[in-house]
Amino acid sequence: MIEVQNLVKWYGPTLAVDDISFSIPKGQIVGFLGPNGAGKTTTLRMLTGFLPPTSGTARIDGSDVLTQADAARGKIGYLPESTPLYLEMRVEEFLHYRGKLQHMTRQERRARIDIVCERCGLSHIRRRLIGQLSKGNRQRVGLAQALLHDPPVLILDEPTAGLDPNQIGEVRKLISELRGKHTVLLSTHILPEVEKTADSVVIIAGGRIVARGTPDELRRKVSSGSRVLVELQAEPAAVSAAFGAVPGVTLVDAVTHEGWCRATVTPAQGLDVREALGRAALQNSWPVREMRHEIATLEQYFIQITAQQSQGAEDAA
Amino acid sequence: MTQIIAIAKRELMALYYSPIAYVVLALFALGTTMFFFLNFETGAAATMRNVFEGVVWLMVFLVPAISMRMLSDEFRAGTIEMLMTSPISDTDVVIGKWLGAMGFFVTLLSPLVLLTAVLEIFSSPDYGPIFTGFLGLVLVGGLYLAIGAFASATTQNQIIAFLISLFIICFLTIIMYYLPQASFVGGGLRTAMFYANVNHQFEDFNKGLIDIRNLVYFFSGIALFLFLAIKLVESKRWR
Repeated sequence: MIEVQNLVKWYGPTLAVDDISFSIPKGQIVGFLGPNGAGKTTTLRMLTGFLPPTSGTARIDGSDVLTQADAARGKIGYLPESTPLYLEMRVEEFLHYRGKLQHMTRQERRARIDIVCERCGLSHIRRRLIGQLSKGNRQRVGLAQALLHDPPVLILDEPTAGLDPNQIGEVRKLISELRGKHTVLLSTHILPEVEKTADSVVIIAGGRIVARGTPDELRRKVSSGSRVLVELQAEPAAVSAAFGAVPGVTLVDAVTHEGWCRATVTPAQGLDVREALGRAALQNSWPVREMRHEIATLEQYFIQITAQQSQGAEDAA
Repeated sequence: MTQIIAIAKRELMALYYSPIAYVVLALFALGTTMFFFLNFETGAAATMRNVFEGVVWLMVFLVPAISMRMLSDEFRAGTIEMLMTSPISDTDVVIGKWLGAMGFFVTLLSPLVLLTAVLEIFSSPDYGPIFTGFLGLVLVGGLYLAIGAFASATTQNQIIAFLISLFIICFLTIIMYYLPQASFVGGGLRTAMFYANVNHQFEDFNKGLIDIRNLVYFFSGIALFLFLAIKLVESKRWR
């Protein structure tokens, strides 16, 4: 549905996007992750036709965003970064205006505005001035205008920026409901958001794609992916020795914590050593207070990979 | 076409929601009425000529105030991004906005209609020159608004947009009026400068003439500045 090939963007002497290629199949929700200034917004702006790429092509449902601009733009619902809206217009008025620009007839507009207002929770504030709405409600208006012409592709640039946790939850729910029918590309730097909604994740840093895959796949890639944390009543040195002898354990870090010994055990990639650790504690008759399996989050992977990237950039320089 | 009308309507609405519109309306009504009553005495000719002449000067300052937010505000607020990613052309955006501002300008002229009615009550004016005068005013307004559209496409700042259009309009009115009278300006150049002068072009309309040369001047001027404005909007994509 979205095909991007060798997209490059130079802003004068600055390289913002460096040879990005990816494709997104129909009906998927894809999270576009990256630190600030990584080139997320620039890439999305090239997809919507707001900025022309320096080189490379982007196609939306087969239409090139440069040479078949009107066809491509008609297939996209776009929520720009920081949701620019006309503050002096009323919600309904603004949606009618957006509908007209999308070549919708009056009947179509009426029907669709009812649907999107219902869906985005705007029904009770349709007659309010946009300038008087809260940030969360403005974000909903932005989403409503993106959904208005029922586009096959939705491009959302930081749809949850500046919202409170409840509102983030609502937006996430709304985006999840779009799965299957719409192809969604959303950028964000809030990771839990992507972990819960996206089918697939593209991570960019320094203008390049540094990783892509499903959230699960990426999580597994984190070095020191999972750890086991054990708290027991024993001497740290003895615990280090006993747990270190368990097959598959690569590192044991035992310290005294609140009168208990806290051991952080790092197993070799993909191994589950919890049972063996439990047996070792039992053999030594150490009382166990807690045993916890810690799984790496996407956040750790994100920090790891983007740090590698900036490290690499520094080395190159 | 529907899209151009939609943009024009929104532009007109946005003007009526801004306080500037009412300041401009008030100043314009005040100015025109003042010009009218300065020449309103027994024995004076029953024409609007002097009033219209004054109005053209008043427009030098007031029309840039109408057009200054036309595109600059879209750039500042970022709403231009929504316009430029909709399935419409940049030409639609600029023409639509110019038409909306024209709609506002025409309503601005309404005090003049009332003043013409006052003239009718006290004497019997000749409606030919009054009609062509109105036509001339609309053309001058169209030209100034096209200049304003161009100026507002250069910047995000309304004040700078106002000053740029004021400068261009002053160049076409004041400078092109006084400079040709200087002794060092030669024959051919003098004729060219007089031709570029807006007031000179308006004069024939005020006399009751509709001359094709004047129409060509205004239409080509409007087309030139709207074209430049469209190119400026397009160039935002490449920066």
